[in-house]
This record gives sequence, C-alpha cells and structure tokens, in this order.
Amino acid sequence: MSDIVIRVDDLSVSYGNVPAISNLAFNVRRGEIVCVVGPSGCGKSTMLNVLSGLLPPTHGSVSVNDQVLYRSGQPLPRLGYVFQTHRLLPWRTVRQNLELVLAAAGIPKAEWDGRIRSLLDVLQISRFIDSWPMRLSGGQRLRASIARALVIEPSYILMDEPFSTLDEVTARTMRHELSSIVARTRSTVIFVTHSIREAVFLADRLIILTRSPARVFEEKVVDIERPRLYEDSRIGQIEAEVVERVLDAWGLDDRKRAEAA
Amino acid sequence: MSTGRTIGWSVLAVVLLVPAWFLGYHFTNFIGDPVEVVGALPAFLTSGDTWVNVGISVARVFGGLLAGVVLGTAMAFAINRQGLLKETLTPYVTLALRTPSAIAAIVSLSIFHGSEIGYVAVVAYVTFPYVTTGLLDGLRSADRELDQMAQIYHLSTWAHMRHVLGPFIAPYMFAALRNAHALAWKIIVVVEIFGAATEGFGIQFSYAWEYFRILEVHLWLLLFMAVVLFAEYCVLRPAERRVFRWRDAR
Repeated sequence: MSDIVIRVDDLSVSYGNVPAISNLAFNVRRGEIVCVVGPSGCGKSTMLNVLSGLLPPTHGSVSVNDQVLYRSGQPLPRLGYVFQTHRLLPWRTVRQNLELVLAAAGIPKAEWDGRIRSLLDVLQISRFIDSWPMRLSGGQRLRASIARALVIEPSYILMDEPFSTLDEVTARTMRHELSSIVARTRSTVIFVTHSIREAVFLADRLIILTRSPARVFEEKVVDIERPRLYEDSRIGQIEAEVVERVLDAWGLDDRKRAEAA
Repeated sequence: MSTGRTIGWSVLAVVLLVPAWFLGYHFTNFIGDPVEVVGALPAFLTSGDTWVNVGISVARVFGGLLAGVVLGTAMAFAINRQGLLKETLTPYVTLALRTPSAIAAIVSLSIFHGSEIGYVAVVAYVTFPYVTTGLLDGLRSADRELDQMAQIYHLSTWAHMRHVLGPFIAPYMFAALRNAHALAWKIIVVVEIFGAATEGFGIQFSYAWEYFRILEVHLWLLLFMAVVLFAEYCVLRPAERRVFRWRDAR
C-alpha cells in the first residue's frame, strides 16, 4: 500500500453552471495533518462533501488508499468526521453514540468496550461514558465527537472547523490535545479552518485555496517540531507570511492598501 | 415541580369534583346521590360482567388505535416521499379528518355488518389522519445534520430509523398518539351505541340511560373516567417519560 491515503486529482464540482471547485489537486500522506484554509464561500464545504462520499465530483477523481471513490460497486471508505457542531445523538449516551458507529463499521462487539474506554481515557471524559450529551459542556461534547471519529480507526478523519464554536481558552486546550492524540494514534487528518494561526499550529502541511471556484493557491510545509506552543513566535511569523500572501489572492487587497496607508 | 407535587395537584383537581357533585345532586333530578353511588361501587367493581364489558371496549380501542397508528405512520412516510403518492394519498387524509364520527361509525358498521372488525375499523379510520398529520410535521422538520452524520458513518437504514429518525419524531408521535387515544375513547362509545352492540361501555351506558337507571349511569361513567385516566397516567405518560428521559439531563 502506498504512503498516500487521499489523492485528489483534477477535481471539479459545479452546481448547475456555477463552478464551486475547479481543477483541485493534492495528496495527503498517512499520519499527516493537512490543514486547508480558504476564504469564506470558496468551496471548502463542497470539498469536504466530496471527500466524505456525499457528493460525486463533476470532473476528476478522489482516491482513498488507491481505490477511486464513487466508482460503482466500490465500498465507501471508513472515515471519521468531526463537525462544526458535535452532532451527537442527544437521546443516546456517549457510550451508545460510539457503539452506533462501531456497529456500522462492522467492528466485532468484543472490541467495543476496550476501544471506547481507552479513547475516552485519552480524551479525559471517561467519567461521562454513560452521560447524555446534553449534560456535557461544549468542550466535552467535542471530545466525545472526536472519540466517535477515532474509535473506528478510520482511513482518515475530516474536521470542519470543530473549534470555531468554543471559547478561546477551551479551543487552545483542544488544539494541544488534538495534536498529541493524532500523533499518538497516527491518524490522517484533513482539518478545515478559517483561522490561519490555528492551521499553522496544527498542520504538518497547509493547503491554501483560492477564492471560489477553489483550487490550490499554495502548499506550505510547516517545519516546526512537536509538541508546539500556540504562542511560539515562529507560528506567528508563518501566519503573518501566509496572510501577506493571500491578501491579494483572496481579494482583500483594499484592506491591504488601507493598512499600508 | 416534583412528580409528587404534580400528582398531588392532579388528585386535588379531581377531588374538587366531589362538592360539585353534591351540589348537582341537590339541585337537579338527573344526578345521583354520591353516597349511594360510592356505596354501590364495590358490588359493581367485583361483578364479572362489568370487566367483560370494559375488556371488550378496551380491546376495540386498542385494536383500532394500533391499526390507526400503523396506517397513519405508513401514510406519513408515503406522503413525505412527495411525488405521486403525496398527490394521491393527501385527499384521503383530508377526507378522513373531515368526516363526522357518527357518519364514519354508520358506514363502517354497515360495511362490516356490525361485526367486531367494524368497531376496530371505525376507530382506525377516525384516528389515522391525526397520526399522519402529526408524524408528517415531524418528518418534515427532521434534523438534516444528523441524517448527514448517519450517512457519513454508514448507518444502515434500520439503524438510521431506530437511532436517528425514530427518536427525533418521537415527540410528534406521542402528541399524535395522545390525540388519537382521546379520540378513540370518544368514538368507541358512539360506535357501540350506533352498532347496537350487546357488550361494551357505550351500550351499557346507553341501556342505563334509556331506562333512567341513574345509579348505573354514574357507575359506568366513573369507571369510564377511571379507565381513561389510567391509560393516560399509568401507560402513556410513563412511556413518554421513559422515552424522553434524556431531556431531563439538560
């Protein structure tokens, strides 16, 4: 099996005559955290829908572990997804939410309890194993949602701005924890965010998209050793460089001019 | 408010009927003596005939309600799929909603020649449109984000129905069920009278009234109220509390 988990090749998606993604191409390697940043409305959600098996491309292809998605008869890949909101079933306990995806993924029942307990331990919410999601704080729900994504040992995990609804302190804690959990589980992650600083902190590699229709504007390897500190000056420096470069590409040149003035 | 206090207030509301009953007895000639009625209750309640009649009416209500829920649910899912099914089935639901209960009773009993199926059919006919309209509201407001989650994690159709859609529409189902349940009891009495049944609540009540046996009228009335309240407070509400126990965690 090659080291490439996801291969996006010449991907285009249109809604009627309106193109949302145009000739997008990138790869994601096993165990890599790739952060995708782009301006609002550039087509990030469309890209996630294609990568999650919900929306077939208009043109081009997406392969997972060398198997082309959306080809008839092809089994859908096992993936984890951490949404912007937790999307846990409020009428099922944390354990039941996890058991549901384990059952759907065909994991033998004998393994369920061990997997659930060890992940909830790592995510520090094991005492809430039999709690209803509505009883948990926003951060705890997010941890449960991350546990749901990891528990099935997916080929890859998609994360769609999962920290955007948290307060900054909780979000910083979660970023640190996510970074260490992903390193420990060697998961492959595509993380979509609006925050360039968050992307630089988390990513092994950044994929910067253009305005709609989305294509790759630039790829950038973040060469900072782990564990990282959110306040690290090198992160701030890379963030500033990226912002500087995308101002024109994202159509924010007026602001740039105003700031320069 | 705690469960104990809630029950206390409900009991008090019923107890307040007692003085009203005494007043009614003193100032009218068609309301019986409460003391006499209560005195006759033990013999009435220990009579085998009483419970045979109760059992028959309960069976008719249960059967009709079950058929109404099954039919109503199937119609709701069919109509929710849009297209031809929606266009063809919606007029039936509207028609059933607007049909006067007495007419439904007469037609059903004529079709089934006063057999047991006739009683069950008319309860089903009167209750199913309430189940359909209630469930349709639930299906139309289903949480698309949870549906998408279920799709991404490859939940089977059965798992999706059982763990995602079912619990989501449960409040709508319970609301519909309570309406249908109340309606079923109202209609069964009418149907038993129209159908000239030989057994059941309705016909016993009707006999007692026809021959002006006021004591019996009151006994049947009290028992009817007790059975309806039992179904509501000892069956439906506990079931509802169990299904929605996750809400108390908020």
